[in-house]
Amino acid sequence: MGKGAGLITNGIRALRFQHGEMTQQELADKIGVTRQTVNAIEGNKYSPSLEVAFRIAKVFGLPLDRVFQYEEEA
Amino acid sequence: MSFQEKSLWLLFVSLIGIFGVYFASVLPGAGRNVTPGQIGLFAALVALLVVIQIAGSIVLAAAGKLSGSLAGRHDTDERDRFIGLTSTRNGSYVLVVGVCLSLCAALVTEGNFLFTHLLLGFWVVAQLVEIGSQLFQYRRGA
Repeated sequence: MGKGAGLITNGIRALRFQHGEMTQQELADKIGVTRQTVNAIEGNKYSPSLEVAFRIAKVFGLPLDRVFQYEEEA
Repeated sequence: MSFQEKSLWLLFVSLIGIFGVYFASVLPGAGRNVTPGQIGLFAALVALLVVIQIAGSIVLAAAGKLSGSLAGRHDTDERDRFIGLTSTRNGSYVLVVGVCLSLCAALVTEGNFLFTHLLLGFWVVAQLVEIGSQLFQYRRGA
């Protein structure tokens, strides 16, 4: 990645458990992606599109920056 | 393992098998030009590849339905498209090299055998790189 690249982290795993121990598959069905994609997002191995990020935030009823955090590399 | 991954493995293995048989058959007795027999063998093996893909996809889909892994699920999404695009790019690098080398071979050798088979060989390798890249990214969890 180029200059200024950082890491997008998230608290989806914790949020799922706070929302009735929602499974990855249940979240995937709500936001229209595969379970594997939810797993990859949770593991910070795939950064979702803005559209999917907003859908995830909407499922948990939180603003985007409460679900996703951007950490700039030193 | 998802349906996409199983389909990719099927294609990966069948490509190696089919073109392995083809190249093992035509390379030992290679002449200057492609013979009608080699064209016939190629056509027959490509037809076999298509049959294997169709039959294999039906079996995989049926097995997925039986285990319930396909019911009501999203088959592909933005991550699949992203992985597909990056893998196509990786495969295209190999293909570009193959086209350049094939053109060089066409300029310096007589007949069409070397040109044709170098191009075909690089196309197969490009396909394998593309599929392998997809499988790697799926396994890595990208």
